[in-house]
Amino acid sequence: MKRSDFPALGFGVGLRRPHYAEILESRPPIDWFEIISENFMGAGGRPLEVIDGMRAHYPIVMHGVSLSIGSTDPLNRTYLKDLGALARRLEPAWISDHLCWTGVGGRNLHDLLPLPYTEETVMHVARRVREVQELLGRRILIENVSSYLTYADSTLSEWEFVAAVATEADCAILLDINNIHVNAFNHRFDARRYIDAMPPERVVQFHLAGHSDHGAYLLDTHDHPVCEAVWRLYEYAVRRLGAVAALIEWDDHIPAFGELEAAAAEARHRSWRALARRAGALAARSIEPLAPRESKD
Amino acid sequence: MARDLEALQKLLWRLVTAPGGVAEGLADEPELAAGGLGAIITGDERMDPAARVGVYAEAYFYRLLEVLKEDFPATLAVAGADQFHNLVTGYLIDYPPTEPSIFYAGQHFPPYLRTHPIADRVPFIGDLAGLERVVLESFHAADAPALDGAAMRAIAPEAWPAFAMRTHPATRIVACAWRVDEVLRAIEEERAWRAPARTAATIVVWRCAARVYYRAAAPAESAALALADVDSGTNFGAICTAIAERAPAHDDVPGLIQRLLTRWLADGVLSGGNLTDGKIADAAR
Repeated sequence: MKRSDFPALGFGVGLRRPHYAEILESRPPIDWFEIISENFMGAGGRPLEVIDGMRAHYPIVMHGVSLSIGSTDPLNRTYLKDLGALARRLEPAWISDHLCWTGVGGRNLHDLLPLPYTEETVMHVARRVREVQELLGRRILIENVSSYLTYADSTLSEWEFVAAVATEADCAILLDINNIHVNAFNHRFDARRYIDAMPPERVVQFHLAGHSDHGAYLLDTHDHPVCEAVWRLYEYAVRRLGAVAALIEWDDHIPAFGELEAAAAEARHRSWRALARRAGALAARSIEPLAPRESKD
Repeated sequence: MARDLEALQKLLWRLVTAPGGVAEGLADEPELAAGGLGAIITGDERMDPAARVGVYAEAYFYRLLEVLKEDFPATLAVAGADQFHNLVTGYLIDYPPTEPSIFYAGQHFPPYLRTHPIADRVPFIGDLAGLERVVLESFHAADAPALDGAAMRAIAPEAWPAFAMRTHPATRIVACAWRVDEVLRAIEEERAWRAPARTAATIVVWRCAARVYYRAAAPAESAALALADVDSGTNFGAICTAIAERAPAHDDVPGLIQRLLTRWLADGVLSGGNLTDGKIADAAR
């Protein structure tokens, strides 16, 4: 697959209920919106009215939280049918969900739990991703999750696992930069090494969000502005992976829409800056042979 | 592998949802005795394996508590924060979430409350939670064109008796043993609430312009709307008969029918259509 198989959306914001009226009335200059799919999978009413109004003016991306792609339970066909119906209604630019499990034994934890990073789990998840892609008739994006535990049985690093699943399933990646930062702290690894290991052609979207510092661990709370360390990691990711659609997520203590707009503008500014540096570095590399050699005298 | 992964996921589910916390949950896992949780989950000097699982356990409970607080604000106000917290703890043990959408997390909360000991002290709490749940369901119910005055005026008068009607998919008829609509309204309007009268009541819940409303209905109205059930429907003639049979003796029946119909059409309580072989077939389905 190529990144150009997906539209270049630019810089978006997660659509949240406190902003519905303002967005519909003032139509702010945001490139695109990402919705939580499950919030719009009801039969009707205000949510669908809102999203139909949004869809007329903005590209929409559907981001799910309940696919439970890593569970050992069978895939939930009813859920997938409803997801497909919403996709037919909205014609989203793409559909994404998380590389995790959310429930087992018919019970749902409503949380994103990590998987053991093993070759066997890669095959298990990749088979299910392929099945989902076949059912939806399109390639999906899987997102790296924040985590607070790792398994003793893991034989791969998290970045090797993410890349292997995407390659084996032939799906795309939604790379959450904040989650990499959180996990790098929680599990003590080099965040840049993670980004270096991502297959560039499969990374179609970035997530940017805030987190909370609990001392012994960072918690992915989406209730703070993006911190400077995450912005810097984002710039590094752009330099390594190129121009990728980016989205600001905010799920708790949601501020006025203007703050999200400003964060999306910041993402655009930092992306341009990183791309300029990347272009400069590439240009410098290309003219390097022409540069005069220093005398060893 | 699948069995190992399944066993691992089920173990984590038990630990995350253990009502007394991860440590208590671990005590119920004797097969873990050999290597302990450390043989499965990696810890470090900052957080041991149980503390790491504990992050998920805390998130599980508090996420669902917040959702239920949002879905049942009046029940929360009546129970009080501490008691509500304890009710949710017990509820999640009996009814752990099973649906992918968190919207369904509270679907069993009203029947749970009706059989909980709290019902001895606050006997209306199950009805109150039930009304709140129905309001939420109405908000998310399917869309359909509402029957309005213009549609009715387009029908020849002689065709009115056979004209098919049914309640809109977002309309609900709720039978209560207590006037919990008064409690809900007081709490919504941030007024002091008081325990409601024990009076069998029917509450009509409906959606109009994406907002949900509710009010108590007299027996004649509730009987008519129950007859016009969204799935089966009925015709206007049968609705008139139902109203006439239950109208107060002193009431002007034609006037009552006119008042009710005018209100239903203005509120969007009904959808309409044509009866074919005893079933409604129209664009609203």
